Formats: sequence, structure tokens, C-alpha cells
Amino acid sequence: MPDVCMYFQVHQPDRLRRYSVFDIGNRRDYFDDSLNKEVLLKVSDKCYRPMNALLLEAIRQQEGRFRVAFSITCCVLDQMERWAPDVLDSFRALAATGCVEFLGETSKHSLSFLVDRNEFDYQVQTHRDRMQSLFGQTPRIFRNTELIYRNDLAAHLSGRGFQAIIAEGVDRILQWRSPNFVYCAESSRDIKLLLKNYRLSDDIAFRFGDRGWSEYPLRVETYADWLGRCGPEANSINLFMDYETFGEHQWADTGIFDFMRQLPTAVLERGMRFRTPSEVAREFDAAAPVDMPDYVSWADTERDLTAWYGNSMQRSAMTSLYSLREAVLSSPDALDDWRRLTTSDHFYYMCTKYFADGDVHKYFSPYESPYEAYITFMNVMADLAQRSGYSAWVPAA
Amino acid sequence: MPGGGGGRYGICETVVSTAIPYARRVRVLMLGWEFPPYFAGGVGVVAHALTRALVARGVEVTYLMPHAPDQAPDASVEVLGVSPGRVRVLGVPSQLYSYATESGIPIQPSRAGFRGARPLYGPDLLNELKDFEDSCLKLVEDRKLEFDVVHAHDWTTFPAGIALSRRRNSPLAVHVHITEFDKTGGSHATPEVFQIERDGMQAAHRLIAVSRRVARDCEDRYGADPRRIRVIYNGIETDPSLQPPRKRSGPTVLFLGRVTRQKGPEFFVRAARRVLDVQPDVTFILAGTGDQLPHMVELSAELGLGPRMLFPGFVDRAQAAELYSQADVFVMPSVSEPFGIVPLEAMDRGVPVIVSRQSGVSELLTNALKIESWDVEDLSAKILAFLRYPVLHDAMRVEGRREVSTLHWDAVAEKIEALYREMIDA
Repeated sequence: MPDVCMYFQVHQPDRLRRYSVFDIGNRRDYFDDSLNKEVLLKVSDKCYRPMNALLLEAIRQQEGRFRVAFSITCCVLDQMERWAPDVLDSFRALAATGCVEFLGETSKHSLSFLVDRNEFDYQVQTHRDRMQSLFGQTPRIFRNTELIYRNDLAAHLSGRGFQAIIAEGVDRILQWRSPNFVYCAESSRDIKLLLKNYRLSDDIAFRFGDRGWSEYPLRVETYADWLGRCGPEANSINLFMDYETFGEHQWADTGIFDFMRQLPTAVLERGMRFRTPSEVAREFDAAAPVDMPDYVSWADTERDLTAWYGNSMQRSAMTSLYSLREAVLSSPDALDDWRRLTTSDHFYYMCTKYFADGDVHKYFSPYESPYEAYITFMNVMADLAQRSGYSAWVPAA
Repeated sequence: MPGGGGGRYGICETVVSTAIPYARRVRVLMLGWEFPPYFAGGVGVVAHALTRALVARGVEVTYLMPHAPDQAPDASVEVLGVSPGRVRVLGVPSQLYSYATESGIPIQPSRAGFRGARPLYGPDLLNELKDFEDSCLKLVEDRKLEFDVVHAHDWTTFPAGIALSRRRNSPLAVHVHITEFDKTGGSHATPEVFQIERDGMQAAHRLIAVSRRVARDCEDRYGADPRRIRVIYNGIETDPSLQPPRKRSGPTVLFLGRVTRQKGPEFFVRAARRVLDVQPDVTFILAGTGDQLPHMVELSAELGLGPRMLFPGFVDRAQAAELYSQADVFVMPSVSEPFGIVPLEAMDRGVPVIVSRQSGVSELLTNALKIESWDVEDLSAKILAFLRYPVLHDAMRVEGRREVSTLHWDAVAEKIEALYREMIDA
């Protein structure tokens, strides 16, 4: 029977306040602390607190047989330290069970791998240190922002203490192959790849509360049967999703918490085991290398970079941001603000792809339009350039 | 939440095509006060475009109006006979409709009494409405006109619409493009006009509002039954060829519309001052005429705008096209705008727009920057953003044009035809 490997992404961005052209040179409080606090408190109430309690209880009840993994960004950790320290404590309590693994990623949930490898290395190291100091674990599995992956990510991380990278099980890459096996990177075969089973992940993350779905309401027995039917020779079914799925994207009244409460027993009863990503990477040999020369991600239906790096505004904002790095490095006061701007969400808000449809991008954005997102971001850039004495800075085309 | 929140009014955003059998054509008797080339405002343009789109879909439209022109405005419209009194019939036979022969809508200067004709709204207007009503009733009998639905454009035709609807026992749709409150700046509605509007809205089986803000007014101020209100936004006839921007000396910001309080020209002038303080090479063009124009010229002098603020006065179609080709940004800071079609024209010409949230069109548009009408600071900041960040300008130019291309009249006519059928079946 295959193992079941669950990893949850925990992240909240530092959203910007309204920042107009006239604020440039006049104010440095770029971030909307009251909104950020409000969202964190809301998500803590609806998701982090109840779900952490549920997982802790399940781990105790199953006496270690239920195991999960988290990837937590420094952005949300900083917010928890400021506004909800008890939530941080509850993650530490989970870490203390020995059944919860913490993955590595960039500290600021950034897209730095795409544009600046020095910044990427810095953020990965910062995050690794934070995991060690907060949870007593050094991450052995890497998860890049939004599961953005390409062969050279593995090459870059090879020899740096990571056993495996988490990536999306994209159909156009896998074709006939199953995501339920451990693979390795084409270019660096010492790095294993754990690929997300997006169908079974999305059954929980996206479809669970959808009354129009033919399987609604999804019973835990049904779901556990689906897991069990993935083939006796499969290695691991990788269920990767945003942690905010529980209670925030899928509200409590969908029954998502009851479902998760019953899932461990249902899975274990069918003879399957729960394994964390590093356990899976350790226990199984790679079935084959997988070649991903082009970037893939877990976003939208395209599963490419277009959600953050698809239109001219996003490219302009990204280039403008990283062109400032040298200047802010020598201006420690501006540097922290600059790093908070590397968070991918700022670029996601500028996405025009589905803007007209009023879809998920709009739902997550604090802005009225992608244009407002771009204007605000660029105005802040201009102020940062001034602060760090980079007088020659111009907005990138 | 796909589809957007229509709130409590039925919003006809998408019409599910249910393969309506065309064996049974809808026959509509449409009542308007204006029709190109004889009109004083946007309603005439809207009525014309809508009529053509309905006819193209196979709806039979008979258009009744006073003061009909002697000649059809274009090949798609035929002036049928001359009837007693001042009412004439504009028949719009579908077989004559042809895109190939279209030469666009001939727009005439929007001045009451152009070409020496009589003013549209005469002093004895209320008597004229009664005359119109009587003539319509007589005409319909004399010519034995058959129709399934009466569709009356605001507000002057409402009494005739009610009378025809009752006489023939046909359902009535009233189309509200603007209310007396919009025209008079909020609260000073002329009681006689208000009364006529209210009677029409309350008698109507369905009420077509051109925006949610109009729908709200119909309900809140006129007591219209919200269950009968449908919001159907106007469309636009787009120009398939996009002219590249003309080379010019410096950045240009454009206002184009009537220079009245309702359109918020003062905010445009004050924003110019704020922008020029930061970036002195910008030219502002305030195009149009109206009772506030002298004040705006004075204010502009007072603020020391000098040659950076231009007042070309009334502009015709060709001149407007010229202005669009020069403009980097179009601004519509209206205080109260039931719909507002001009930003759509600007977007169609590749000019990014800033519109006030007090306009109906702002409900519809996604690829526009939005401001509160009075917020000069925000308006100035957004104008400067366009000028500072060329990438923003280019992105909105492309996306805006794409968006406008979806707002065609056929989609509007489809919704209205569905509404007719709903009324007939009710």
C-alpha cells in the first residue's frame, strides 16, 4: 500500500498600505499593519488555532502514526510573533511531538530564484536558521515558492544539505507516469523529487465544499478508498496544499474539520502509513529522473509562472525591485523593507490574467485592480531608491 | 465569486442561450424622443445602436418619435410614412440592415435646436407629451400596428408608453438612462418631471436601468419594485482600427464632456494644478461646453495654469478623434453619471481612463482606474502614475481596448430580447 504524505503551506504576506506618488519621500510606513494584523487574527481564529489543535490531538491519539509536514514562511512567523504568539507556540508544540517536519524555503516567500541567486541563497539560509532556532529542526526537504521548479533549482541546491525538492506533478511533464513515485532531478540525481498528486490534493483544497461537485459531500471513507486504490506498488501519495484550506478556503461549515479529524484513522485502517517528506525521500529509491527544463508551479490551470511573472507590469516591478538590491544592501534600514517586498504576493496582485472574471486572484487581492497594485508597488520602490541614495534608479520597462 | 455581485437587482450580465425558436419573432413598439440625426444627447445614440442590434437579431422594431427627420440617418433605417400630427414612424426593416453599407452614426452637434430646428424640450413640453401620447394612440390604430411589447426610453415617452400598453394590453418596459435627480444635481427634481418618471416606473412591467446606481435611484427615489428592475449596461460601437498615438511634444491629459457641475470639471482643473506642481510639462485639455465653462476658465487663471490648460470648446466627432490620438490619459471625474459612454470611446481609441466611482460605467469596467469624484489628491496621484510608469500606460491601453471590444451592442440586444420574451411569457 502507498504511504500518505501531507505537507501544508503556511504563509501570509505583508500587504502594502495605500501609497501614492505624493507619499514618495514623505513616509516610510509602507505596510498596512492594521490590515495585516486583522487578516492574521482572522486566519488564526478560523484555521491555525483549531487546525493545530486538531493535528496535535490526532498525533497523540495515533501515538505517532499520524505525521505531517509544514512549510512556514518567515513573513507569517514574524506576524505571529507580533500579533498571535500563542499560535507560534502551538506550532512549536507540534514540532515537539517528533511527528511534524518543517520544510525549507525562502524566508520571504520570494521569487528570488528567478532573478537573483545571491538573494535566494541568503533567504534560504535565513529560513533554515529560523527553523532551527524555533523548531529545533534543520530542513532537509526544499519547497520553492509556489512550487516553482526547474532542473537548475535541483542543480543549485545539490550539495547544500537537501535530500529532495517538492514540486507539482504536472501532467504535461509526467504524461503517463504517476506522481505517486519518488523521482530524481534530471540534472542532479542526488536530489529526489516529491511530486504533488494534484487531483487528490485538490479534492480537499478546492472541491471539498463545492456543492456542484459530483462527489459532494465527500465522505472520509470514500476518500480513503481513493487513496488505497492508487496501486500497491506506489511509493507515496503526496497531498500538498495551503494550510489555510482548513477553515479559511473551506469554511468550517463544509465539515472540513470533521473530515480531517477522521482521516488518520480511515487511512491507517486501510493499511496505509503516514510519512513525512524526508521519510519518503529516505525510504524510497528514485524510480527515474524527471526532466523539467521549463519552470512549473502549482498555480492556476497553466501551472507556470504567469501568475507572478506574466505581464509587463510584473516584469517591470520585478526588474525594478532587484535592480535596487545592491543599493539597499548598504542601507540596513531600507534592507528589511526591501526584503518584505520580495514576497511573491505583491506580484500576484498585478496579475491581469483572469482579472476580468473576478476569480481567485481578485479574491486574494487587497487592491481594486492589478493596476493599483503596480502603482503602489512602484511608488514604494521609488521611495526605497531615494532612501538608499540610488538617485539614478528609474522604473524598469 | 465569478460573475460579480449584482446585489438585489437582476443583473443581466450573462444570458444563457437556450436556443429560442425564431419561429416567433418579437415585435416591439419603441418610443423615443430622439433618434439620429435628430437628438440632443446620448440617449439618441443609444436608442439607435440598440435598435440596429435588435433588428440584426431578428426583432421587429417600430420606432415612434416626434419631430422625425425627413431622411433616414443611414441605410439601416427607413423612414416609412408620414402620419397625422407630429408623429412619424421610423420603420426599421431587417432586410435592409447590412453591415457592409454602414457608414457609422452621423453625429450632429449636441445643441438643442441645431440646424434651426425647434428645441427638443419646448416650454409647453407637458402639452407636447400629451399630444405625443394621443398621436401615438391614433397612429397605432390607423395603421393597425401589431406589437408584443412597448419599450419606452426616458422620460418623455413614459405617458405614451403607459397609454399604449393599456390600450393594447401589452407589457411595458421603461428604459431609464438618466433620472431627473442626475440632471439637476441631486435633490432639486422638477416636480412635474418627477411625477411622470415615477408613474412610468411604477406602471412598467420591467424597468431597464443602465447601471446599478440608476437602479438604486429608481427604487429609493421613485419607489420602483426592485423585482422588476434589470440592470443592462450600454454597449459601444468600437472602431476596429486602432491608430497609433500621434507623436507630440509632451504628456497630455484629456477631459471631454459637457462642462457642467454634474461632470466635475472643477476637480479636473484642480488636479491639473497638483500635477503641474510635480511635473510641469503636462498639458491638460478640457474639451466641451456648458454653463460651468466660464468658471473653469477663471479658476484655471486663478490657479496660474496658463498655457498648460487648453479649452478647445465644443468638439465634433473628428476633433474628438484627434484629441484621443494625442491623449495619454482620459479623465471623467463626474459627480453623478448614470452611465457615461465617453470613457468607453477613449478606451476604444487606446487611451487609458480614470473614472469616478459615481459613474455607472465604473461598475462595468475592470480595466480603468477609479477615484472618488471629489478626491483631487487621488486623481492627481493617478494621473502622475500614468506619466511616471509607461508600463502601466501600455498595459491599460491593451487591456482596456480588449475589454471594450467585448461590450458590443449585440450582447446588449441579446439581453433585451431575452427580457422581452420574459415579459411576453409572464
